[in-house]
Amino acid sequence: MIRDITIGQYYPAESPIHRLDARVKIVVTFLFIISLFVVNTFIGYVCVTAILGAVIKVSKVPLKFMLKGLKSIVIIILFTAVINLFLTQGEQVIWEFGFLHLTWEGIYMAVKMCVRLVLLIVGSSVLTLTTTPIQLTDGIEYILRPLKRIGVPAHEIAMMMTIALRFIPTLLDETDKIIKAQQARGADFDTGNLMQKAKSMIPILVPLFISAFRRAEELAMAMEARCYHGDEHRTRMNVMHMESRDYRAVVMTAVYLVFVVALRIAGNYLPFMI
Amino acid sequence: MNKEAMKMVKAKDLTYEYVRVLETDHGTKEEKVAALKNVNIEINKGDFVAVLGHNGSGKSTFAKHINALVQPTGGTLWVDDMDTKNDELVWEIRQTAGMVFQNPDNQLVATVVEEDIAFGPENMGVEPKEIRKRVDEALATVRMSEYATHTPSKLSGGQKQRIAIAGVLAMKPKCIVLDEPTAMLDPVGRRDVMETIERLNREEGITMILITHYMDEAVRADKVFVIDDGDLVMQGTPKEIFSQVETLQKYGLDVPQVTEVAYLLRKEGVELPADILTIEEMVGAICQLKSTT
Repeated sequence: MIRDITIGQYYPAESPIHRLDARVKIVVTFLFIISLFVVNTFIGYVCVTAILGAVIKVSKVPLKFMLKGLKSIVIIILFTAVINLFLTQGEQVIWEFGFLHLTWEGIYMAVKMCVRLVLLIVGSSVLTLTTTPIQLTDGIEYILRPLKRIGVPAHEIAMMMTIALRFIPTLLDETDKIIKAQQARGADFDTGNLMQKAKSMIPILVPLFISAFRRAEELAMAMEARCYHGDEHRTRMNVMHMESRDYRAVVMTAVYLVFVVALRIAGNYLPFMI
Repeated sequence: MNKEAMKMVKAKDLTYEYVRVLETDHGTKEEKVAALKNVNIEINKGDFVAVLGHNGSGKSTFAKHINALVQPTGGTLWVDDMDTKNDELVWEIRQTAGMVFQNPDNQLVATVVEEDIAFGPENMGVEPKEIRKRVDEALATVRMSEYATHTPSKLSGGQKQRIAIAGVLAMKPKCIVLDEPTAMLDPVGRRDVMETIERLNREEGITMILITHYMDEAVRADKVFVIDDGDLVMQGTPKEIFSQVETLQKYGLDVPQVTEVAYLLRKEGVELPADILTIEEMVGAICQLKSTT
């Protein structure tokens, strides 16, 4: 069962979005998230949703996969909604009880925040679903590179992510083995209250950690044996380079941003709640 | 070429000592342990050499010296005429003498096979185009080309070990040190890896230093060294070494199965030569025995 967990959530497909440079995708996603907080009208959200929908359509990833990411944050969305619903100050009061009060402004705020959160998660899902973990790591390394001058260890962060990705399946296999070994000796992981269950995890975690440290030491030696010495004079086999489609994506994003800002300014002249 | 230049690895009075902290009833005690004591070894270029020894004999420590992962506390070790104590030569030494470790899982770095093979040349600062070429060549040499874009965690132990060998090959080494590369593999994986090692030695002329405790693997080497408790106790051709069954047993080592059968038969009075290493030789010897009687 434990073996079925996939790393990242890459959905393989042939689409223009998949082929885009990872760096471009990361920056565009980042700008998209900022744009969500620039938009503040319902008309604006309808437009953004339509644009995001079009991007999803182009990416050829089924909508089901896009919405999967929402499952894990349902509670956060509900929590945000309830807080905004009852604690927003407003003039058009519908119902009041102690410090709780339901206002039209509250409802408006709650819906707006929920739409923002949903768009944010789905938007970043487009990035993770269309980019392989390796491309992502490489992209992050390139983007962080200018920050190296102020002491951000860009190469080291990327290397750590690569190694983590490489060892997740190995350590999952190992966990599986340890669980079976403990079960064979009569360990019980399924019964008892939460406390007992947590306690029964100790015989799994201790050997797992010891083995992980041993692996780390051996890997470090193997890396040194292959001349690894940080990113000084290091080259890459696959060099990232921007192509015309990447520049087109950048231009389209710029147009999108202008549009969003224009919507915001136009929003000032629109009546409340539109 | 003069005589010195023929040596891939040369050790003179190689000694390695470390301090072991012991927990006793009266607190901790420090103890000096010698993993290698005055070892003198010469390995010729292009040779396939096996280093034998039981667990804890110091054979792995010796292997790590060749790659400059460990530096001698006494004596000197030269790899292709480079002193491993010279810090400036470390990267060149590691490039000359590549190393393959025992655990196939703990030496692969990347999540994709070809990226992992590219790791060594990338560290050396090789041009991207050249790296691509080397990776494809190395994959073809270990016959794993169709797995170029697979993830290492889905491969078998033997395949992972061949990828590790390819990763070293991409660095264009003159010598490869293999530290018990087959110890964690199943028989099929072991056969594949041994076949790859022998072929690379034969066809590419790469010096192979195989650290092992499988006698059947050592039989195929040009030369065998036996290390016991930090001392180099025996050296010679496989035939010279394995004919001394009793001496080997004293050092906690077995002999190949066929050699042991021959040894037991000789003890029973059957007249067989002492240096039988393979089944074919055994068959030949027995047939001759029958025709003479």
